[in-house]
Amino acid sequence: MKRPATLLAVALLLLSFALIGYRVIWLKYPIFPAAPQKVWRLSMDARVTGGEKETTVMVGLPFTDRGQTVAEERIRSGTLPFNLLREGLNQIGVWSGVTSPEGEVIGYSATIQVRPSHSLKAKASTFEPFPLNVQEEDQALAKRLVEKWDPLPPVDRLRRIAAAMRGIWGSPPPDGQDVREWSAFLEKHSQLDAVLLLLRAAGLPARVVEGLQLAESVTDSTLTWVEVWTGQEWDCLRPEKGEIHQKPVPLLPLTTNGLSATRVINGELSNVRWTLRREIINQWRMQFDRIMRSNRFLDRWSLFRLPPEFQRTFRILILVPIGALMICFLRNIIGFPTFGVFLPVLMALAFRNTGLAYGLGIFWGVVLFGYVVRRQIDKLRLLLVPRLSVILTLVILCIIFFALLGNKLGLREFMAVGLLPFVILTMTIERFFVIVEEAGAREALWTAAGSAGVAVITYKILQLEPFQLTFFVYPELLFVIAAIQVLLGRNTGYRLLELFRFRGFWRSP
Amino acid sequence: MILKAVRWLREVGVLGMNRRNTEYIMRFNPRSFFPLVDDKLKTKQLAKAHQIPTPPLYHVIEHHGDIRDLGKLMSDHQEFVVKPARGTGGSGIILVSNHTEEGFTKQNGEVIPLKDLAYHISDILSGIYSLEGLEDRAFIEALVHPDTVFDAITYLGVPDIRIIVYRGVPVMSMVRLPTRASDGKANLHRGAIGVGIDMGEGTTLKGVHRSQIVTHHPDTNKPVTGMQVPHWESMLLIAARTGDMTGLEYLGVDLVIDRERGPLLLELNARPGLQIQLANQAGLLRRFELIDNAPPEIFSTPEIRVAWALDTFSARTLN
Repeated sequence: MKRPATLLAVALLLLSFALIGYRVIWLKYPIFPAAPQKVWRLSMDARVTGGEKETTVMVGLPFTDRGQTVAEERIRSGTLPFNLLREGLNQIGVWSGVTSPEGEVIGYSATIQVRPSHSLKAKASTFEPFPLNVQEEDQALAKRLVEKWDPLPPVDRLRRIAAAMRGIWGSPPPDGQDVREWSAFLEKHSQLDAVLLLLRAAGLPARVVEGLQLAESVTDSTLTWVEVWTGQEWDCLRPEKGEIHQKPVPLLPLTTNGLSATRVINGELSNVRWTLRREIINQWRMQFDRIMRSNRFLDRWSLFRLPPEFQRTFRILILVPIGALMICFLRNIIGFPTFGVFLPVLMALAFRNTGLAYGLGIFWGVVLFGYVVRRQIDKLRLLLVPRLSVILTLVILCIIFFALLGNKLGLREFMAVGLLPFVILTMTIERFFVIVEEAGAREALWTAAGSAGVAVITYKILQLEPFQLTFFVYPELLFVIAAIQVLLGRNTGYRLLELFRFRGFWRSP
Repeated sequence: MILKAVRWLREVGVLGMNRRNTEYIMRFNPRSFFPLVDDKLKTKQLAKAHQIPTPPLYHVIEHHGDIRDLGKLMSDHQEFVVKPARGTGGSGIILVSNHTEEGFTKQNGEVIPLKDLAYHISDILSGIYSLEGLEDRAFIEALVHPDTVFDAITYLGVPDIRIIVYRGVPVMSMVRLPTRASDGKANLHRGAIGVGIDMGEGTTLKGVHRSQIVTHHPDTNKPVTGMQVPHWESMLLIAARTGDMTGLEYLGVDLVIDRERGPLLLELNARPGLQIQLANQAGLLRRFELIDNAPPEIFSTPEIRVAWALDTFSARTLN
């Protein structure tokens, strides 16, 4: 008899774990959707002014790769149509069109999760040619300057070049003539060109990256740095400081391979402002966009695909079975009396609108008032169904009274009583009366207290946001709940209160 | 502490609510047979067909319209009992011991007018006392005059005998004695006392009153132990036959002993309470296991089952 139930429970558990496993491993869901996570909130806005011709603004935007996840992207484009383009390693947001005379405000914002452990671990880039504007004699000069480092591994070569950019050439020092020529070169060229030249001469693949410093900041300009391939990964070098960044690199790339982060054709970009803010969100939010766009079966059948106004309902509904599980537990494991199975769950749902204190107060108020009236009605000798109807009417009147009172006193909680389960309250009054009559007031109060207690516990569970979210992301967890319910249904052990009830057996084994 | 308590109860073989429901009621009592015991009128008819005595039936009231004739119907009965056919735990039962011009005298001396009685019956028909709140029938049967043996330890009301039957074998039993608190009703949860019975001898043991072990009746202060229950073996035989009669293998059989008519079957219960274990200071589970391990030939006839039970569950054998 016990085996089929256990098998069913195991099957339900396996089904649930299989679905969750599939989501976590293949669909890359977070295991703890509600776990908090530090992310960056990036936003860019700027004013575009153009002439009569079509203006095009191109802005390098971050995108999801191994080093980072980009989600919750929002575009502000005014009247300009917006497009996303891939350009080499970059993702470019393109706003193009004829701007109105007073200009257009464009904007972009996104939530970015940076995963330092993966950052910049990409494939080696191709060998870049010498910078275009460098003369052949300068190329030869650079080669002479770095050739003594040739036997060193790439990381050390990079370190020497970084030091050289700070003017430290190490020993043995290079030829005095070469150093003078190099100084002359630096006067004519930018630091960036200089460092690229040295890197090329030293045989280190490099690329120019434009982006932002990862720090809480508001800035109108972007940074430029050089990423250097050192055989295993890309190292970041700040040319103007001659500094190599330690890992994790506090930089957010926007464009690589020398593209400028912002470009404008036929127009002007003003008031450019980049903002970075630290935010703590739950892991789920990072996955949300991806799942909304995904075509995988389970993603398409996710509860998140429901219209938002229905989602709220399901967030709660999905937790109701947990409430029922609580009642199974309290009744069959503890042995606590409650009014029926569903009253406490429905009460808990109502508490969500009224709040706990008001909800409990109103519950007790209505039940006790209803009881007093029920006692009086008893003398009238009404038939069962009309009598219950009278109590139902009374309950509705109570609820209306509370709502009006709440309106007068400005207490929203009182006005929310409309959601109290009035049918259940009616039956509770009747049951309460019958229990008082048959088993005494003590028993009745005990049962009412049990129901209220279960309702409070259930309410507390329903209110747990992480719980709500986890069940909403993984509705298959309900199979786990069902499995526990099945197992509780086959529980043959003593109830906790039964141990006390049979205390007469305690000392006589 | 909890584990210790569990171990003690296990050692005695106490049957708990969860195990009773899952392993005995659901397994041995097919749902389809429940109406036979949930409806006392059906039980009465069935008992009649099997020559098991029950209190004589006066009237059955099925429709609200029939209540109008109540006064006429009752005119030739001085005393009677009104019961809902599907009532539980003794609710909705009114014992009338005298019938005069002013009205009906209840067991506790209170006099209620005819219209109150009619209202009560109307309640019964509406299903207020019935198991699932379904429409019900009310019936009126003869008032039982209990055997005088328990007079000293009964406060009003009618004491009854509860016998647990498992697979047709009487397992455990108790006398249920009404108290002032139970308002003349013999239901333990209303405050009646349950007094265990030595199955072998039919003599009373200690009692249980609201989970407390007692040796004296709280209202009369007379000892409840060591009394001989009359008609013991014939009651066990009635109990043993109810199993065959209903097809239910785990039953609580409620009997009364009428002064003139002897043992009468009052009602059957497919979900018998567990308090009887405290009254007997013995576990049901232990005795069920003895029955499950018994040789198959003991199940052949009610007489053999009773003989086996008298022998196996007597205090002498068990100790």
